[in-house]
Amino acid sequence: MLVLTRKVHQSIVIGEGIEVVVLEVRGEQVRLGIRAPKDVTVHRKEVYQQIHEENRSASEVRPEDVPG
Amino acid sequence: MNETHLFETTRFGTVGYIDSDVVTLADGLVGFPDHQRYLILCHKPDSPFRWLQSLDEPQLAFLITDPANWVPTYAPKVDDAEVERFGLTDSTPRLVYVTVSIPPGQPDEMTINLAGPILIDLERRIAIQLVLQDETYTTKHRVFPQANRVSAVAV
Repeated sequence: MLVLTRKVHQSIVIGEGIEVVVLEVRGEQVRLGIRAPKDVTVHRKEVYQQIHEENRSASEVRPEDVPG
Repeated sequence: MNETHLFETTRFGTVGYIDSDVVTLADGLVGFPDHQRYLILCHKPDSPFRWLQSLDEPQLAFLITDPANWVPTYAPKVDDAEVERFGLTDSTPRLVYVTVSIPPGQPDEMTINLAGPILIDLERRIAIQLVLQDETYTTKHRVFPQANRVSAVAV
């Protein structure tokens, strides 16, 4: 993992056309702004992980447990 | 093109299908990027449940359902990046499914994932699983109301 230290209002540029800006730091929270091309998706990691987990769970359902 | 293919699944035995039955997810489902080709099988006639059965892996199948059966007001917003990537327009005929989790032996604890809907483009027979940006919808929406807990009363 590349580790960089930034101050508020400083940016990181990733590849061609992706920029992450530190907008605000308040206590334990960091507010980030992300500029990326329209075809690039950006997600909070934990939502992605939760969806992965639900998919996994849906793949383990036993047909006999399905109502009806 | 209309030739019937046969595929042996672990849960449902051998299923027959034709090419236009196949739904392709270019990126797969979240966490399952290597499996792209699927069939949608009915659980039972008149059942609201379907199975998204992998054509790449006989053991892999996901329980899914149309969220409109359970949450009539469900209206996920598809953001611009997704539209661009997927090539969806307002007039594209589409189906929406969500995954269903049922803990073994506990059908009352069934939940559906409203934050990760699967959008199917019926014309091109391709699909994508969206990761919804806003936090309106939960990954674990309880379908049945929670049973009232009965407290034991000391006599």
